[in-house]
Amino acid sequence: MGEYVDRPEAKVEVLRCNGCGAAVSYSETARAPKCAFCGSVTRLETPSDPMEQTRHFVPFTVSRGEATEAYRTWLSGLGFFRPSDLASSARLESLKALWWVGWVFLADALVSWAGDSDYGRRKASWAPHAGRLEMPFRDILVPATRGLSETETDHLTSSYRLDTAREQPEGAEGETIVEQFDIRRSAARQRVAEAMGQLAEHRVKDGFIPGSRFRNFSAAILLRRLVTQRYAFPAYVIAFRYRGRLFRTVISGQDSTRIVGRAPYSVWRILGAICAGLLALALLIMLLSLAG
Amino acid sequence: MGPLASTEQRIEVSCRSCGAQILFEPLQRTARCPYCDSPSVVDRPATEDRPDPVFGLGFVVTRDEAARRMRRWIRRRRMGPFGLRGRSAEKVKGVYLPAYLYSAAAHTSYRASIGERYKDKDDKSRTEYRDLEGRHSTYVADILVTASRGIPNDEIEGIEPFDLGVLTRYTPGLVSGWIAEEPSLTREECRHLARQEATAHVGQLLRRFLPGDSVRDLRHHVELVDESIDLTLVPLWVFAIRYDDEKPPIRVLVNGQTGKVYGRIPLSWAKVGLILAAVAALIGLVRLLVWLLQ
Repeated sequence: MGEYVDRPEAKVEVLRCNGCGAAVSYSETARAPKCAFCGSVTRLETPSDPMEQTRHFVPFTVSRGEATEAYRTWLSGLGFFRPSDLASSARLESLKALWWVGWVFLADALVSWAGDSDYGRRKASWAPHAGRLEMPFRDILVPATRGLSETETDHLTSSYRLDTAREQPEGAEGETIVEQFDIRRSAARQRVAEAMGQLAEHRVKDGFIPGSRFRNFSAAILLRRLVTQRYAFPAYVIAFRYRGRLFRTVISGQDSTRIVGRAPYSVWRILGAICAGLLALALLIMLLSLAG
Repeated sequence: MGPLASTEQRIEVSCRSCGAQILFEPLQRTARCPYCDSPSVVDRPATEDRPDPVFGLGFVVTRDEAARRMRRWIRRRRMGPFGLRGRSAEKVKGVYLPAYLYSAAAHTSYRASIGERYKDKDDKSRTEYRDLEGRHSTYVADILVTASRGIPNDEIEGIEPFDLGVLTRYTPGLVSGWIAEEPSLTREECRHLARQEATAHVGQLLRRFLPGDSVRDLRHHVELVDESIDLTLVPLWVFAIRYDDEKPPIRVLVNGQTGKVYGRIPLSWAKVGLILAAVAALIGLVRLLVWLLQ
């Protein structure tokens, strides 16, 4: 509601340039107060939307050596449709250790849902259902990284033990980059809301909406409580080169079996398999037609 | 005289740069010295109906860019008065408009008939209606309503949305050098407008929320709780275009952050008449041809 400020008279302010003392105006090109005389720009202070940096660091428990080993094992175990000389010819170009950033949130939400399911249907194949329930969310990880892709973070998130987190970066050998948060709080809320929406839908379909097939599902969320904390998660990013092309692999810094990455395919092997398949199909058809 | 008028006063101060007298008009938060053009910002004591601004959005679109977008928009308005396209704006002002940013938790109880389509035994498409009732709770945020008598809400809706993700706390540095208005509508008037907009918005959300292939007889009641309403200054470029000396100028607004344009162009009855005449002539011509060929 309204606030009374106890100021008996109006206060007039002239904003002065730190460089030359002239009065500055807000410039739309600089998006900050800018001096028309000397051109210096004063940053607008926004102390109420601080982009605080990470408070919790999940430590590295996988060493660089272990990560390299894991990458080699991964490369040799990729399967038939890869070039036969992949493990031997691939050259490790770089192995970088980094902490990528994200939020871990805790929330209590009131989830309202509605959707069609096959339960209770009569003439039509669908019947409408709706409900509303309190739903707790605990230790939900939402990536905020610009360095890793969504596929990569999807693979890594469940590999981290959040209870091992410390206030300082620990466990890294040598030079390790700590990514900085550069997303504003309001944008963060949006991402957290999206993650919550998806999780809520999954949970409702799993346990609260009757039936086995669903469509037209919607969920609305009202937060009772939301605590968001900034975390940094350890990972190794490996770049390797095969026949001149560069590929990237990411390994979790706490679990060396959690690897996600791209590797080249062998076109010949794929084509060969397709041809073999077609040949087998042709043979089968021939045999069946002879028998029939 | 409304409840705000009695608290308004013109403020006369000496310019801090050159000593000349600057006049701050009653509803203005900023002024430029008439002699040395130095910009200043005034902070009047806050009252219930004219609180301190809490938030602000900085200008991003420059005057030239706004003018360009406005001209492009006018060129596309074909049914406007003649001579409109050639005109340049008589007055261009960069204004920070006072608006209230409203958010609340909305609890809705609803009841509706949900239609589910199916094919009957003759393979004809039919709809079966099933009753559904329930509750829907959501947070409604970012409802912006004007707090200025000068620019009504529908004009603001025309240039919305603003990107509120870059909303910043108000500081005098944000408005220095620009025209910044104080609110002329009371907080309660604005809260009422905001509630209407919020309720309408929830109604739309509810329609999209409901399952099935169609909905009929939707009855719902929205309760808004945990409201917050904060005075915010939003950037606007205001153009006044005079196309006819006898008529008042047309006001065109350009969103100072996104560049979206809105204005109400009167329909040119002359053009409508001409088009109808042309159509009539065409019909006449066709009939003539048909008669000649017979």
